[in-house]
Amino acid sequence: MRKLAGLAVVVALALAGAGASAQAPRAGGTLRAVFSADPPTLDPAHATDTTSSAVIRQVFDGLLELDETLTPVPALARRVDASADGRVYTFALRPGVRFHNGREVRAADVKYSFERAAKGKRPWVFEKISGAREFIKGTADGIGGVRLVDDLTIELRLDRPFAPFLHLMAYDAASIVPREEVEKRGPGFASHPVGTGAFRFASWRRDDQVVLERFPDHFRGSAPLDRVVFRIIPAEITRFNEYRAGQLDLTDVPTGQCRSVQNDPQLRGEAAVWPTLGTHGLRFNVAKPPFDDARLRRAVAHAIDPTLIVERLLEGCVYPARGILPPALPGYSSGIRRLAFDRGRAKQLLVEAGHPGGRGLGPIPFNFNTGDLNQRIAEVLQAQLREIGIALELRRLDWAAHIKVVDDGSAVFFRQGWIADYPDPENFLTVLFHSRNIGAAGNTSRYRNAAVDRLLDEADAMAPGPTRSARYHQAEQAIVDDAVWISLYHYSSRALVKRSVKGLERSALSSAPEFLAPLRRVWLDR
Amino acid sequence: MLFGITLLVFLLNAIALGDPARAAMGQRADPEALERLRRDYALDRPLAVQYVTWIGRLARGDLGTSFREQRAVAEVIAERLPATVRLAFAATLVAVVLGVAAGALAAVRPGSALDHVLMGAAVLGISTPVFWLGMMLALVFAVTLGWLPVSGYGGGSLRHLVLPALTLGALHTGTVARMTRSSLLEVVRQDYVQTARGKGLPERIVLGKHALRNALIPVVTVIGIGLADLLVGAPLTETVFAWPGVGRLLVAAVGQRDLPVVMGAVLVFALVYVLGNLLVDLAYLVIDPRTRRAAT
Repeated sequence: MRKLAGLAVVVALALAGAGASAQAPRAGGTLRAVFSADPPTLDPAHATDTTSSAVIRQVFDGLLELDETLTPVPALARRVDASADGRVYTFALRPGVRFHNGREVRAADVKYSFERAAKGKRPWVFEKISGAREFIKGTADGIGGVRLVDDLTIELRLDRPFAPFLHLMAYDAASIVPREEVEKRGPGFASHPVGTGAFRFASWRRDDQVVLERFPDHFRGSAPLDRVVFRIIPAEITRFNEYRAGQLDLTDVPTGQCRSVQNDPQLRGEAAVWPTLGTHGLRFNVAKPPFDDARLRRAVAHAIDPTLIVERLLEGCVYPARGILPPALPGYSSGIRRLAFDRGRAKQLLVEAGHPGGRGLGPIPFNFNTGDLNQRIAEVLQAQLREIGIALELRRLDWAAHIKVVDDGSAVFFRQGWIADYPDPENFLTVLFHSRNIGAAGNTSRYRNAAVDRLLDEADAMAPGPTRSARYHQAEQAIVDDAVWISLYHYSSRALVKRSVKGLERSALSSAPEFLAPLRRVWLDR
Repeated sequence: MLFGITLLVFLLNAIALGDPARAAMGQRADPEALERLRRDYALDRPLAVQYVTWIGRLARGDLGTSFREQRAVAEVIAERLPATVRLAFAATLVAVVLGVAAGALAAVRPGSALDHVLMGAAVLGISTPVFWLGMMLALVFAVTLGWLPVSGYGGGSLRHLVLPALTLGALHTGTVARMTRSSLLEVVRQDYVQTARGKGLPERIVLGKHALRNALIPVVTVIGIGLADLLVGAPLTETVFAWPGVGRLLVAAVGQRDLPVVMGAVLVFALVYVLGNLLVDLAYLVIDPRTRRAAT
């Protein structure tokens, strides 16, 4: 067994950072935050959206959590040891941690929580643990690879090494829940969650507001804020107006106003743009004509100039893309070469594919989900592809219908954004391009490349480091060269935060208005 | 009729693209979890069976369970219904008070400047998109002047109700104003009004008492029909003002393919419409004595 050196170092850094803070946090006050939609659930086993996660992260804790640099650091576990072969992780729990109902957390709670969540909506978080698949399918009574060593120690055994495993343990699906509360409340647990988090649930009026209050017995000590109110406001312009009227402490910047808020004398110091872990891309179904022909896909890639979209439509408030991995992701390489905008090359590729000037192609359907920005992007793409003789027929569907035609393979050319669940290249490349994940599991391109599969399999099992990163870069470059995915830009968070709000983390996981950052360090200077 | 509506909504949902279980899974869906969810939602059964099951439950007063919220649909709707009812009542009140007043004032001197201004405003009210009007009212009265809150329910406070009620009531106010004006102008030409004038009654009494009462009969009809406009406008108004009502719930449920909630909410809207028109019919009995005689 070896202690994970990274963890120890990061904890030391975090402590040093806290000591260096210029002002001492002031206790008290209510943070007025906002969501764009009502959370469907507050139960970590059933959440699949960022709004739900934003609440869950305040109410619950996991064994680990991610710090501002996206490194897993101890939370409910005070220490984690990994075996030399990277297959066994032993978590020592912090003694004396209490749930909001007063009971102490024990190792059995971890086993219960994981087995419960493995049968929820994000089973993939647990499927790397030995015996999890059998348990999920219902052929085993429990997850075999989860072993209680003693009351405060739990051992997790994997089938094969999986480098981002600790990231999974810091993910909100792996939050620890108290069995007696879940059993007492049944489905009602989703509307009245009980965890160990720095804030406990106070009230929720659907479509109006969720209120959390400080949990004074949190294992890290009491949070400065008394309460957090998440208003639920669907229209972005209304969120913006509430912020300007002084009724919200933080919100997102409305579409098309990124530059104007930065130039507004009142809002200038409050607007912030930072990179997040997402990429807006275009995908082809490579299993179906006409885009089973790589030359045709490359022709499209060479005909698209994303600069227009980045600079004009998004006012330069997003980040230009080379490859698939966003720059904020640990393991990002700036060495990826994209298929450059080059109409001449695009036309030549059309000739090589047997469609000079687009002849014989007919109008090609382009699918995208409802949204003003998506519509405008689609129109730009339509205009740019017309230049090389390809006619796009725009097909706008709402999300539920869009995801259906994408999953079942009937869409041949479509938009897809991807935001990392956890900060590791595996969560982009393996999920989106490994042939094992074809269809709804992530590889909606239906891309099969044995060499890429092999590179990804190797990298997924390797310990983090340059060798692992090199494998991912090789795979990423192969995918870009095959033009399976065309990146348009990398996402950013465009936020407005009042000057009185201190200690709010602006990590790449936090995207306004649904901040996923822990609010336990936030305090109000007013 | 309600039965027909539920069947229509069910069939529309069935042919709409998109799978409720898939929509609930987020972007990355595990195939086994998806199958389990389809079984849980009973989506693996034939459509006819699904519909008959739903109707059977409805007969027992059970609207089913929301896919998205995993709670009883009746509970999901009951939480939001009071907000929508408040808003609809307030908007109707705005429409009746402002609409009748504007219509009557305009009818006093047809063709006058006041008439033109009021009827111009009425046309604006009818033709202004709800979303835009809501945004503008919020910008002026909440952000700039700071007199009223920008949005929200505010625990049911009257201040929070003003702007949404004006927004939702605007379209209706315009219709009522125009109808009141034309109906009044029609009535004042009739013999009994001329008789009242001939008796030397002041114009205020002639118009306000003798003419207006009869002129209101078609106006009441318009109010009944206008209920449909309120129901159409409710989702938009509720969205601009972050009002936690059934309209917003319905929009979200359609997006999520949360069929039990869609069916429940449509049923409630249909019921509200039917009940509203029943109230209008009852109102005739009060205003128009002839209907009383006919009824007995």
